[in-house]
Amino acid sequence: MSSIEIEAKTTEEAIKKACEHFHLTEGALDIEVLESSSTGIFGLVGNRKAKIRVTVKEDSAIAVAQETLRKIISLMSIDTKISAVRKGDDIVLNIEGNNTGILIGHKGRTLEALEFIVNKAVNRATETKVRVIVDTENYRKRKEESLKGLALKMGEQAKRTKKTVTIDSVNPHDRRIIHLALKGDSQIQTKSDGEGLFKKVHIIPNRKKTNKEESG
Amino acid sequence: MKDLITNIAKALVDKPEEVVVTVIEGEQTSVIELKVAKEDLGKIIGKQGRTAQSIRTILNAASKKMHKRFVLELIE
Repeated sequence: MSSIEIEAKTTEEAIKKACEHFHLTEGALDIEVLESSSTGIFGLVGNRKAKIRVTVKEDSAIAVAQETLRKIISLMSIDTKISAVRKGDDIVLNIEGNNTGILIGHKGRTLEALEFIVNKAVNRATETKVRVIVDTENYRKRKEESLKGLALKMGEQAKRTKKTVTIDSVNPHDRRIIHLALKGDSQIQTKSDGEGLFKKVHIIPNRKKTNKEESG
Repeated sequence: MKDLITNIAKALVDKPEEVVVTVIEGEQTSVIELKVAKEDLGKIIGKQGRTAQSIRTILNAASKKMHKRFVLELIE
């Protein structure tokens, strides 16, 4: 956990500086006053600066995550509420509100971008390794279901045509869902292929197993 | 829109006091220029430009409501 000492004219000013430094609100910080300020006689003699030690709180991650996302969305002039819960090591932020379609974006890209930025901000501010998941209107769950459906459909097609079926540019999280959905099927295997974040997924029918119900 | 970019940038860098955002207004498209400390430039761009890409995605979503286009430029 990072901890710094800050000097300023007054304690309040020092706290304000600390908040700016960590880019956090006061609630997420542990503040210890080392020396309080004094103005001395007539503000002339014996001026002493305030000195505080500031540490980022252990479980501030959840507060930071919530606050970061709330701020970004409110600056996008969208009115929402954000609830935060801890799920094991992960933090799940749920966006509640009307106009959340705009926050999901095409193929969930905006939601992904928000999640990515919040993750970065949280892990930088608190120097921890937590994963933040951003969700709205059960979008994640719905997407997972539809991906599973797609995977199974493609799996069937691969088996029927005995040809490799390829799903284009899938991100790591979605790839995992596809692999897992088809893992139990002994007639096909799945493979990722490509470079970078977005790879293709090949669904390959197994050659050796002779399937009697052949159709075209 | 300026506040949005300022806020996101400050949350990502080590030197938030050096974040400078300027908006060049245009009729249909406005350009938002973001300047950060030299050491922080990498943090704003991210691995394979993923952070910059994410900021642009958020910016696009935000500008949809305003019926205007915003472009983000990183100034070195």
